[in-house]
Amino acid sequence: MSHQPSTIDHPPFAAGERRVIIRSVGMKKIYQRGAETTHALRGVDVEIYTGEFISVMGPSGSGKSTFFNMIGALDSPSEGRVFIDEVDVAQLTAEELAFLRCRKIGYIFQSYNLIQYMTALENVTTPMAFGGVTPDEARKRGMELLDLVGLKTRWFHRPIEMSGGQQQRVAIARALANNPSILLCDEPTANLDHKTGDEILTILQKLNRERGVTIICATHDHRMMNMCDRLMWIRDGAIERIARRDEVEVQLASIE
Amino acid sequence: MKTIDVQPQPLLGFARTLRIALSGVKYRLFRALVTVAVITVAMAFLMNILAESLIKMTVAATAKDQIAEMRLVDRWIARLSIPPTTAEIIASAARAGEPAELENLRTLGQLDDTELARLQELAAAADTYLTFFNDLNYGRRRVLVGSAESTAIFDRLQDPATRETFFARLAEMKTVRFVTETDTFDAWLNDWPVLRAYTERIREGQAAAIRTVQDNLNGRTLMQSLRAAEGPFGEVIRDAGFNLSPAEAEHLSAKVGAVADTALIEAAMNQADIRQAIAARLDILPGDVTPSRLWSLLGDREHAAWYIGVMNEKGFAASGWQPDDVIALADSRARAQLLKQAERATMETGGGLMGIGQRMTWLAFVSMLVCAVGIANAMLMSVTERFREIATLKCLGALDGFIMTVFLIEASILGLVGGIAGTVMGLVIALLRMLGLFRGLLLESIPLAALVSASLLSIVIGVLLAAISAVYPSLRAARLAPMEAMRIE
Repeated sequence: MSHQPSTIDHPPFAAGERRVIIRSVGMKKIYQRGAETTHALRGVDVEIYTGEFISVMGPSGSGKSTFFNMIGALDSPSEGRVFIDEVDVAQLTAEELAFLRCRKIGYIFQSYNLIQYMTALENVTTPMAFGGVTPDEARKRGMELLDLVGLKTRWFHRPIEMSGGQQQRVAIARALANNPSILLCDEPTANLDHKTGDEILTILQKLNRERGVTIICATHDHRMMNMCDRLMWIRDGAIERIARRDEVEVQLASIE
Repeated sequence: MKTIDVQPQPLLGFARTLRIALSGVKYRLFRALVTVAVITVAMAFLMNILAESLIKMTVAATAKDQIAEMRLVDRWIARLSIPPTTAEIIASAARAGEPAELENLRTLGQLDDTELARLQELAAAADTYLTFFNDLNYGRRRVLVGSAESTAIFDRLQDPATRETFFARLAEMKTVRFVTETDTFDAWLNDWPVLRAYTERIREGQAAAIRTVQDNLNGRTLMQSLRAAEGPFGEVIRDAGFNLSPAEAEHLSAKVGAVADTALIEAAMNQADIRQAIAARLDILPGDVTPSRLWSLLGDREHAAWYIGVMNEKGFAASGWQPDDVIALADSRARAQLLKQAERATMETGGGLMGIGQRMTWLAFVSMLVCAVGIANAMLMSVTERFREIATLKCLGALDGFIMTVFLIEASILGLVGGIAGTVMGLVIALLRMLGLFRGLLLESIPLAALVSASLLSIVIGVLLAAISAVYPSLRAARLAPMEAMRIE
């Protein structure tokens, strides 16, 4: 069973054994719009390990989004290669890409992106349906996931009836639908107030610690930096700096 | 290194896809209703013209025979008054649908079997040639046969030099296709004097017969005499050489009687006293008394009895009339009016799809096209509006095929709903309109099977139209990059 959790019982980062789950080699992205050429990424080499919690930072226009699209198998690089779980993304067919997005990666968006006409439970079970899970099994697992994010009693609510924090929690449950190894979060707390942001971060941290899910998180949130394993800064389409948290803790302390 | 366990993603089952498409439609109900309205209007238009045309065609077929019977009197009056033209004789010989008519030609022209067969054969050819020359535009006909018209063309072409010029010019006209081989026409033209001689004989025979009949009128009008067509005057007609069977004679005399009685009743109405009496009974001004008002009054037994009394009183020969006779006259007059109206209304049916005519077919096609553009636009808007939703679904593992199917299903549902609504609407409007136009005649000749197939056709067209219009929008949706989901508005 390919979509069985490969990382769920995996020892966390600190336990020593770690494996590269995402690797990019000389990743470049060039956008050609008319005569104008934009170098969104100018050759990024990065390795992300299983069970790691990594924060990605960078100003807008830095190539952060492009980087996210590449390592999330949503776009293909102009040059260089991206490996997810040692699979070269460029080699995959459309169907295999869909399979990969469905089961290997969970996406969490800044604006939640729940399907408006579906209930919370339907939102969570949709990726399972795509993955071929039977409706009964999907419902059962969907309820478990909603329970995990603390929304079991609100399974029948539509996104419009929920607060931002609740919507984002449903989105997290949805991202976990097929037990992905990787969670790709694009500023998950940007649209939330401080308290609800905290709740989301707690859930993410729990997932990372207890389930060993690799979390890659674009953020400007300083609280996030406090809980991640590594921090990564992108500027002008290149990695400016990658550092372990303990290396930057001093600076963070000085900021706060 | 980990073994590659990535597999192709399976396509979601149709039932699930349908459910997702349906909930999408439900969520955007208002938008969907607007699109449905566009389809409804277009399909109602199509169904309306289809249904009206089908009904008209059936009514026309029903009315045709009855109208022919209704004109029996006119036909006999004409036949007994004026000898026919050559073209008329050719036309009736070429049609030869009714044996009685052919028999008429035989007796009037004193033709034997071989001659009659020859007449038919030559007349049939003449008929096609005449149609050809009639349909030719003026300039071309002028070049080919000068100012000659109808059968005079054939006379003109008897001259060898003229005929040679004719064929030469015909060969030059590249765009004109002659109805037969030119050699056949040439040979037929040589036979034209034979046909002409036959028609002359028939015409002279009929002229003589008309003289005999006219001589036996004994000072009465032809109409008055025809009232006795079942009796001695029928003998006179038969003796003169017309083919009038006893059954037809009886029928004819009854019809003539009805015509005369109708005329008498309407004549009585025009008398000042009677008119005032009618006006008083109808509670209207005397000037507003019209034949149709009178006849609708006479449909009632009590009024009919009263009117017979009034007529007798004022010296109109209505003694011995029963109210039922008058009611029957009123009914047959109403029927005749209805048939005439039906004939007028159905004059231009035929041609194109289900008899709606070329022009209407074109119009229907254009309206379908406009509708298709409307649906495509609505679907494109729907796709644009749902960019993020589509991209998110793709992030969750949806295949292009799934997205495409969702949008095609959505459009088909709208097409189905709009198609059914439009078809029902168009059909109801058509039935009501036709009921107003043909009244009782409609109920006698409702083309049920044809209407059912037209309805099915229009529903299918509605669904196909919507589905086809949605192909491009669906393709756009399917091709959308999943990274659009990351975009923040």
